[in-house]
Amino acid sequence: MHVDLQTVCRVFEDVLNGSVSREQADRWAYAVVQEEEAGIVTYSPPHERERIWAGVMYLYGVDTMKAPGEYLHSDNDISAAMNAKLGEVADREAAMPLRTLASGRRNA
Amino acid sequence: MTVGFVPDIDVVPSLDNRVGAGATTERPASAAVVVQIKQVSLPAGQRLSHERLHEIDRVFFGPFFREKYGRGGDKALENDRIRYYGLIQPTNDGGELAGRRYVHEFDTMTGCTRGWHETVDRAGNVRQIRPERNDGATRHYQFDSNGRYRGSW
Repeated sequence: MHVDLQTVCRVFEDVLNGSVSREQADRWAYAVVQEEEAGIVTYSPPHERERIWAGVMYLYGVDTMKAPGEYLHSDNDISAAMNAKLGEVADREAAMPLRTLASGRRNA
Repeated sequence: MTVGFVPDIDVVPSLDNRVGAGATTERPASAAVVVQIKQVSLPAGQRLSHERLHEIDRVFFGPFFREKYGRGGDKALENDRIRYYGLIQPTNDGGELAGRRYVHEFDTMTGCTRGWHETVDRAGNVRQIRPERNDGATRHYQFDSNGRYRGSW
């Protein structure tokens, strides 16, 4: 199984925009955890393994309820968690084309 | 591979105090690293105490689980199991609940593991657990602030 940062980001976003249910996100994360226990998960990029895992472990259990039909986490909670766990990476990736461009100009 | 602790993410230290009594601040280490343990010979008939054995278990198995599941601490139980506590994932609804965490339990005698999600209140009491069942069914078990079972749904 291959898990990359973009996939984890997308699951967060899909939960927030309602295209994926929290239950589906939880089961996806559970599958990743199971595969990790079996030692057959690869992370991309490898140096972001910790951040990817933090995102997966947040999504695992994201459908926890505090009362029947009432989720423990609000959308604001999930959004804040996404920013805390993946935000820096997302910002870095968004800034990367600029750095590449700047680097290209220096090399030119 | 070493993984640094990120202090400003998911940390609600006061809630982890209860389980953190036996927690360690030791950094996770690669499972591939073999640490040579100094041999200690005990007088005939003398055995290591349970506490000492549990401490050895925690050190030995720590690298396998602490990095993944034990960021909030770990605790050796009397029944030869070790519990690894994840960090609290906070909820900000203004109510009495503080958030949830995943707990992973490893049986050092059988090698079996099990896990569940705990919901904790702001006083650090476990108010709800949601076991990960093999059949995939989801059920929440609730407790009051004194730890008394209230029911499930």
